[in-house]
This record gives sequence, structure tokens and C-alpha cells, in this order.
Amino acid sequence: MNPDTGTTPRPCADACGTMPGCAPLAVPYVPFQQEGSRKYSQIDALANGTVFPGLNLPFHLKVEPGTLADDHSTQLQALLFVVTELGLYLDTHKDDAEAFQLFRQYAQLAKEAKCNYEQMHGPLTQLHAGQDAAYRWLDDPWPWEFHKEGGAG
Amino acid sequence: MFVYEKKLQYPVRIKNCNPKLAAVIISQYGGPDGELGASLRYLSQRYAMPYPELKGLLTDIGTEELGHLEMVGTLVHQLTRNLSEEQIKTAGFDTYFVDHTTGVYPQFASGYPWSASTMQVTGDIIADLTEDLAADGAMV
Repeated sequence: MNPDTGTTPRPCADACGTMPGCAPLAVPYVPFQQEGSRKYSQIDALANGTVFPGLNLPFHLKVEPGTLADDHSTQLQALLFVVTELGLYLDTHKDDAEAFQLFRQYAQLAKEAKCNYEQMHGPLTQLHAGQDAAYRWLDDPWPWEFHKEGGAG
Repeated sequence: MFVYEKKLQYPVRIKNCNPKLAAVIISQYGGPDGELGASLRYLSQRYAMPYPELKGLLTDIGTEELGHLEMVGTLVHQLTRNLSEEQIKTAGFDTYFVDHTTGVYPQFASGYPWSASTMQVTGDIIADLTEDLAADGAMV
């Protein structure tokens, strides 16, 4: 974010990012996440709200992670969560080859999970409604509607 | 361009309605630090960003905030499902209900409607990112 300081990031643990070596006074800085961060499993990442243990900074009154149904919907949400988190990381670390390789793998898994989900629950986008024999875009439930298990939830 | 995906980012299944809780959670929808402000803040600030990583980050985070907005709206919707007249009166939900019934309206918990005065777009990247830090804690 600050190309002018010319500092070289050094490897560090998840809990301590690096700061510019010679920072101007009265300018706030955010410690940057470094390469090689530890990562949660998919399901733990979804339950904790982040794939990186180093970014798991709960409020003091944290509610325990809920239990999630092991269905197509949860699998897709978990995969897309990893894709989103890795994508945000790559936005500021585009040359991290390891992270990009992971991103490619999970993007492919998410693509396959979307196909599985749509076969079971109907199209995720209006465009995909064109793949079916009948127009299923309007089928209930919509995501905000209460339903016990499964579906678009 | 935005394309809607017909799913939530994270499951929301609320078995028991709770209008009292809904009257508080509505602030996370359209309150001063709610998801509507967050998404519009990032998606509006990005036009002034000169660096590719910032154009990308603000676009991607602002988009994700729209997904958060939908989850919070879903929370309010499900918390106010099948309300009885007694529940509306006793839960302190009557002042919301008289104007909006069980529709999901972007407002503060106090009832003040969502306002762009709760966010800032200066065109100055340091000022905008500093505002983002204040508004959204650890997201940037």
C-alpha cells in the first residue's frame, strides 16, 4: 500500500505483522499480513468467520460457532468463503504463488459445487435458469425465507 | 455490473420470532455503522483509488458487504415472522410496525432513517482508508 518506504517484509508469526521501518509521524498504519499464514480447514473457517487463525480476533462476548448442516448448501458456502478470503488476500499479495495456487484449486471446487447445488435446488443466477427445461428462477424458497433445512439458505 | 446469486453467504434459520431483537438488529442493516453504509462507503470510495490493489479491495469488500446486508435483512425478516398483535405491542416493536409493518426498512435502532451523513468519501486515499478503519474495524 505504501511503495515509497521501500521496506522489505520479513517473515513473522500470524499474530504480528510488519510495520514500515521508518514511518512518518502521525500517520496510522495497519500491520500487513505476511506470506505463509496458517489456515483453517474449510468447515472450521466457515464456523470461525475467517480462514486465517491470525485474523480470528473475536469480540469479548463471542458466541460459540453454531453447528452447520453437512449439505450441498453448506459445502458451497464453505468453498465460497475460502475463495472470498483468498481473493481479498490476493488483492494485496498478487505475487504470492502459493496463495494463487490455492485460489485456483478452490475456485474450481466452488464451480463444481455450484453445479451440484443447482441440480438439487435450482439456478443460482437468472442466467443459469436458461439451462433448465422450465423457468425455475422463481421457485421457492428465496434466500431470506425461513425453511428448516437445505435449500438456498 | 452486479449479478445476483440466489443464496445467502451464511445460513440464517431463526426458529423463534423475537421482535424486540429485530428492533435492535435493524441498526446493523441501516444504522450509522450498518451494512448498507459499509457497502456504499467502499463502492463509492473506490473511484478515487489510484492503486490496483485498492481498486480491487474496495470493489471486493463493498460487494461482500452487500451479501452481509442481505443476511442482516434476512435476520430481521425471520425475527418478525408470524407476529401476534400482543407480541408487537409488548416487545416495543409497535413504533416500527406502525410505519413499516414487517417490511425491512434501513434505519437506525432509534428510528432515524439511514443517512449518507454517516459515511464519507473525500477523494483522498489516506482520509478514506482511515475512515474505513474507524467504520469497519479490522476489515481493511
